[in-house]
Amino acid sequence: MELLSNLDIGFHAALSLNNLVFCFIGVLVGTAIGMLPGLGPLATIAMLLPLTYTLEPVTGLIMIAGIYYGAQYGGSTTAILVNLPGESSAVVSCIDGHQMARKGRAGAALAIAALGSFFAGTVATLLIAAFSPALAEVAFLFGPVEYFAMMVLGLTAATLLAHGSFIKGVAMVLTGLILGLVGADVNSGTYRFTFGSFSLTEGIEFVAVAMGLFAFTDIVTNMRNDQTTREVKAPSLRSLTMTGKEFRQSIFPAIRGTSIGSLLGLLPGGGAMISSFASYAFEKRVSRHPEEFGHGAIAGLAGPEAANNAGAQTSFIPMLTLGIPSNGVMALMIGALMVHNISPGPYVMVSNPEIFWGLIASMWIGNAMLVVLNLPLIPLWVRLIQVHYWVLFPIILVVCCVGLYSIQNNTLAIYFAAGFTLLGCLFWRMRAEAAPLLLGFILGPLMEEHFRRSLLLSEGDVSIFYRSPLSVLMLSIAAVMCLIILLPQIRQGRKVAFEEEA
Amino acid sequence: MIFKSNGQADVEAGLFFAGFGILTAALSLQYSLGTIAMMGPGMFPLILGVILAILGLVILAKGFMGKGEQAKPLPIKPILLITASVIVFALLLLTVGLLFAIPAQVVVALWASEHFTWKRALLLSAGLLAFCYGVFVYFLGISVPLIAI
Repeated sequence: MELLSNLDIGFHAALSLNNLVFCFIGVLVGTAIGMLPGLGPLATIAMLLPLTYTLEPVTGLIMIAGIYYGAQYGGSTTAILVNLPGESSAVVSCIDGHQMARKGRAGAALAIAALGSFFAGTVATLLIAAFSPALAEVAFLFGPVEYFAMMVLGLTAATLLAHGSFIKGVAMVLTGLILGLVGADVNSGTYRFTFGSFSLTEGIEFVAVAMGLFAFTDIVTNMRNDQTTREVKAPSLRSLTMTGKEFRQSIFPAIRGTSIGSLLGLLPGGGAMISSFASYAFEKRVSRHPEEFGHGAIAGLAGPEAANNAGAQTSFIPMLTLGIPSNGVMALMIGALMVHNISPGPYVMVSNPEIFWGLIASMWIGNAMLVVLNLPLIPLWVRLIQVHYWVLFPIILVVCCVGLYSIQNNTLAIYFAAGFTLLGCLFWRMRAEAAPLLLGFILGPLMEEHFRRSLLLSEGDVSIFYRSPLSVLMLSIAAVMCLIILLPQIRQGRKVAFEEEA
Repeated sequence: MIFKSNGQADVEAGLFFAGFGILTAALSLQYSLGTIAMMGPGMFPLILGVILAILGLVILAKGFMGKGEQAKPLPIKPILLITASVIVFALLLLTVGLLFAIPAQVVVALWASEHFTWKRALLLSAGLLAFCYGVFVYFLGISVPLIAI
């Protein structure tokens, strides 16, 4: 019954007119921007973050969350209609979703995606409501040692599951941790790496880092795709209804996809993308007609669509209860919380229940809005995809720059964004994923604090990290993960060497 | 040009990470290190810098052995123009005002695209000016000078 009273607080907060309006704006804008190929949820949120700063904390978070699952959903629409993934987790939806569209079932495909996502969203929302308090209880038992170990584990897992080279990912995390340390040191008050600049005492503005590394770098690297002419035929509204057979075929894949996504979303580094890939692989394996996959199999669309939405939502659990971001989007959410002077962690639920439960309730409302909003608006979205890139990128640039200024009425953040654009392009060239850097950047100060406090408590005895059973467990898992990822590389290296000899 | 192995991306990444790590470690020495039990502000960055430098060297070695990844060619013109457009905006915003900063940014940025025409730049600037003024100044109440001269 406690769950019900909690949800009551949540719906009370989320159903206020103000919050409903901003949830709606978030979902609408998120869908619109998420549809544009090349602009994923991370870049979208980074771009719109400054707009939420002037809002009440709960309203701002509701809007950001709306942008997130809106962008998620928009990406799938693009994938189905034009075979271009609007963002990375929609790559899988391209395969069978677009094949369905080519067979004239575009409307049905969009309806399956929308309803599958809604179902997954509903289940994931209930899961968050049911399990977050329990997880927060565990988090209360954590001391600095356990927190430090958990951050090591979280960062390792997030890097492991991100695509690209593992060792470069770790190096990016470290780079992020270092950049996160710029500013006043909490313990001594010493200004570190500020080079005498007073504006840097509060650290580098993280929106500037995110915009430079994601939004602006994306613009530069997408510039050559400028030419792509996108020919899309809007499906007529009449074809939006799916047949009873299509509906029945999508039920079980959606349920399985939801389970897979909910589970994978909980893991550090998990979330939408991995969930959709895992679900696709799973559906293909259990299907009685695996040969249909790639030619418009309904299970190949319904499963991953449900999974990516479930994964996107349950990844809020570790962020809300432990204060640990499991992916780049959650890192931005933590940053947004900190701007409102709320330090994420188990205490949020107690100190700001309206924020915690309001956000959860708004997720369900937002998912319902997505269904209602998207199906009738498809003709409009189709026209949006056809907008030329040369119209879009100046808009993104200017809105981001004005947004950066508005954070502190200061142009310094804009210069930093310019610097991080250059850095982002360099990372792109060197094939180093930027998301781990953002995770490190957010966690840097926290990690240092817990590290120093642990060793202060143990009076300098490093063995404290392997005297706590929880900490040992987490650090061992991290170590095992590193070994697993390194071993195949060793094997592969050997294989290459053997082949060269032969 | 010297490194033409297929490990170019890792060679460059290795150099970058090693350089950044060494720089961090060197800079953190100016702060008090303290002891393990009572760490000063310099200790944690020093540790991170040293680990990063070592990782950088490993990546570099991997690149030299040709086991790394291929680097992607940088699109020089868009990089320079997009970055420049951001800096131009920052320079002009408080010195001459939003009314000039937005068109200047649009022109410089649009230059990076092959679809640049003055008419398009003008239309985009006008639309963005109206949008930004409406949302940021009127709706969100951000104080930003329209004309600062």
